[in-house]
Amino acid sequence: MGLGYNMIMLVLSFVTWWYGAGWHQRAKLVAARIDRTLDYFSISLLLKTLFTPFRQISAGKVNGSLDTKFRAFIDRLISRLIGAMIRSTVLLVGLVSISLQALLGLVILIGWAAVPLLPFVGMGLYMIGWLPS
Amino acid sequence: MSSLRFNYHSERAQKARLARQLGSWMQRLLIGATIALIISGVGLIYAGFAIGWLLFGASAIPAMLLEWRRGELGDLKATEDDTLDGVVSGEVLGLLPRQPGPADLAAAAGQVISSQFLSVRLGIGGRFLQEISSSISSVDDVWSEAFKIKRQVGAQLINGAIIASAIIRSVPNYQNLLAHLQLDDEDLIAGIKWYDRLDRRISEHSKPRRTGGIARDWSFGYIPMLTRFGQNISEQISRNGLMTVNLVAHNRALDRLVEVLSGGSRQNAVLVGETGVGKTTIIHSLADRLLDASASVPDSLRFRQVFILDSSALIAAAPGRGELENLVMHVLGEAYSAKNIIICLDNAQLFFEEGVGAVDLTNVLLPILEAGRLRIVLTMDEQRFLRIGRRNPALVNALNRVTIAPADASDTLDIMKDHVVITEYQHKVTYMYQALKEAYRLSERYVHDLAMPGRALKLLDSAAGYAEGKLVTAVSVRRAIEDTMDIKIGVATDADEREKLLNLEALIHQRMINQSRAVQVVSDALRRARAGVRNQGRPIGTFLFLGPTGVGKTELSKALAEVYFGGEDRMIRLDLNEFSSPDDVGRLIADGADDPNSLTAMVMKQPFSVVLLDEIEKAHPNVLATLLQLLDEGILRDVKNREVSFRDAVVIATSNAGADRIRELIERGYQVEQFESQLTDDLIGSGQFRPEFLNRFDEIVVFRPLTKPELVQVVDLILGGINKTLALQKISVELPAEAKEYLVDVGYDPRLGARPIRRVVQKSVENLVAREMLAGNIAPGSVITISLEDVQQILGSQQQADAIAASPSQLS
Repeated sequence: MGLGYNMIMLVLSFVTWWYGAGWHQRAKLVAARIDRTLDYFSISLLLKTLFTPFRQISAGKVNGSLDTKFRAFIDRLISRLIGAMIRSTVLLVGLVSISLQALLGLVILIGWAAVPLLPFVGMGLYMIGWLPS
Repeated sequence: MSSLRFNYHSERAQKARLARQLGSWMQRLLIGATIALIISGVGLIYAGFAIGWLLFGASAIPAMLLEWRRGELGDLKATEDDTLDGVVSGEVLGLLPRQPGPADLAAAAGQVISSQFLSVRLGIGGRFLQEISSSISSVDDVWSEAFKIKRQVGAQLINGAIIASAIIRSVPNYQNLLAHLQLDDEDLIAGIKWYDRLDRRISEHSKPRRTGGIARDWSFGYIPMLTRFGQNISEQISRNGLMTVNLVAHNRALDRLVEVLSGGSRQNAVLVGETGVGKTTIIHSLADRLLDASASVPDSLRFRQVFILDSSALIAAAPGRGELENLVMHVLGEAYSAKNIIICLDNAQLFFEEGVGAVDLTNVLLPILEAGRLRIVLTMDEQRFLRIGRRNPALVNALNRVTIAPADASDTLDIMKDHVVITEYQHKVTYMYQALKEAYRLSERYVHDLAMPGRALKLLDSAAGYAEGKLVTAVSVRRAIEDTMDIKIGVATDADEREKLLNLEALIHQRMINQSRAVQVVSDALRRARAGVRNQGRPIGTFLFLGPTGVGKTELSKALAEVYFGGEDRMIRLDLNEFSSPDDVGRLIADGADDPNSLTAMVMKQPFSVVLLDEIEKAHPNVLATLLQLLDEGILRDVKNREVSFRDAVVIATSNAGADRIRELIERGYQVEQFESQLTDDLIGSGQFRPEFLNRFDEIVVFRPLTKPELVQVVDLILGGINKTLALQKISVELPAEAKEYLVDVGYDPRLGARPIRRVVQKSVENLVAREMLAGNIAPGSVITISLEDVQQILGSQQQADAIAASPSQLS
């Protein structure tokens, strides 16, 4: 078995990895990054607790006159509104970030498939002598 | 069946060699090349040169190589077929030549990190492997051992550590080699597993954590007071990571804790276990588990914050009784309102007992615990829990008990393996595996105030201060315990000590006349102990000295303590005539805090000593029964059920039982050896001792009464002692033979043996010297010769002499 045979075997092995396990690994990295962003923005928690009072301000049962109860209810309502506003804002920012990351991930994965072609593309463009105007 | 044929040209072997060629400097070169090609390519295109496309396209080649190196070549997986080149780790495979021999394997193993780990931890270095590899006849032996070890440790790959171990195991009589390194077969396996364990932990550590994100705590209340008076464990862990060790043995307790805290009934728990067992570690592990979104935790507990309340901060802020109760109520109320807090009262006795830094808040805490709506975890020492429970049964009923048992040897070693990583970082040292084993062994025997694993970790930490050249070895651990506990551990190595051991009999005889057999058996026992050939599961020696009063039984014990253990204060003496009632067993094994003079407390403090149990025949049978385990296994449990080791002590029991019979037989001309066993039988027959008690002793030694010439020698010894005292005044005394004989005649009492002689000699000589000194007749440097007449004059009539001999002496 000569050196040439070994080289061919290695190149084949590389190509197999690049379009097989390598691509899969890259996809997992992209997914992990999106997962981290999802965790950072607490998307599922934000959705679950969208209308709960913010920081438990005015939380808890209040005993007293109707007037006191009404004021507590209003307090709680305001707390819920503040919570909903803050959470909605963060939710929006989070969703935009995740969308952007998903898009970037998609570009990376498509780019991954194209990278081994780059030397050939470069050589072709060099040979035809094309240059951007 | 695994194939032992090595295929140098296999695809995996080629990849491994390529990975080696793409080493760190090559990778840097590739990064540089990629960047340079991209920049120059883009630059040339921008400048209007089409060749720039060629460079730009070529930049993909080094970039892809780098990716391949990172993604596959650097971490080659095992192939499905069980061939050599399919299972040897890439780092080793890349270093092997076409036809590797044992020396090539040793050279390859010596260069890779897993083998270097064994080199540091077990002392099996690359040079050592090279040297021993020359005695291996076939490389197939190494490969077949490597496959065996791989299967034994359950590894996927044969890494450098496995090959290093296989090389050792292929050497004929390799056990001798290992013994030289204070290792055995199991230690090799433990070393490989240790590497794998650390490797796994590093991979786990780099896994992303799911922490709940920025909105995690938005639904929960503010906690300003709790932040001031508590320590947020969860926050510390999320910031710095878990600095304690997760223990497999504690998983069950942790699961139970999670179950209790998430259950429908009272959501509180008390972790009960000895100090050092890892109760606080479980609290940290709980906080860690609750923070991990990927862990299986009930939703009601997810992301709960664990706060440890600081009792001293609370007491300092509210010194008055009412103020403190209000403050605690306020803090706990805040925790309840916040809805995401788990309160932990570490060392909870501080909140249920009055004392220094402690205050009894039972009235405040009990209703809260009984209501069970605020999640609270308490940790408490077993004894304290029982004590508090006895005083306040309602408290115990209100709590869900979770018992934490001490870790066993295997778990403790695993904990130590994880723990040393932290200690090594803090102290900038490296621990050898032998140090870990030694720390476990010695702490189990000598550290009594903590349970495992705490006691082993404590010793391991203190050994860091005794590192030699930044390496903590078994010797460092021994030195640490010898210095901190003032005990001798190691086998005799010092030349002085060896000399002392070899001449022990002569040294003892410098202060002891005759009783050669007793001196001999005791000396032999000590030599066996310090040479490391004795039974480690028993005391160094257990002896019963029988004989009349004043024949040297106590003197031999003192001589032993002084000559070998370094001073008479190394003798722990108990007069067992003070232990004649059944209740006295309690005094024998009392806790050191209550009675520092109990046998267990004294030995705990000074395990390397002579334990003298005087007048053993007068002890109550219950006391003797308690001592049986001590004599048999070298262990006595104290009142707190702690094992106190007597395995570094020489235990000597003395008895006057049979003294009259000994005297009578000696007077009739018998030698001790002729009636020794008969005397023992008589003692059993007369009911003075039970056979199972006498059988526990290594030797029963009969002391015979001293003859007149021996008593004259005793006088010489006493005079030697007096001269030592007088040396401060630069004077000395001497007596002619007839004066000495007179002193023996006056001082000897058949009932009391040589004991009264000391009083007679001391009083006569000291009186004369004192008189002469006051009269100004003695100049420094002079030698006072005391004649027979002087002695007779000082002692006066025979009656006066008898009175002196019979009088109690402070010096006896």
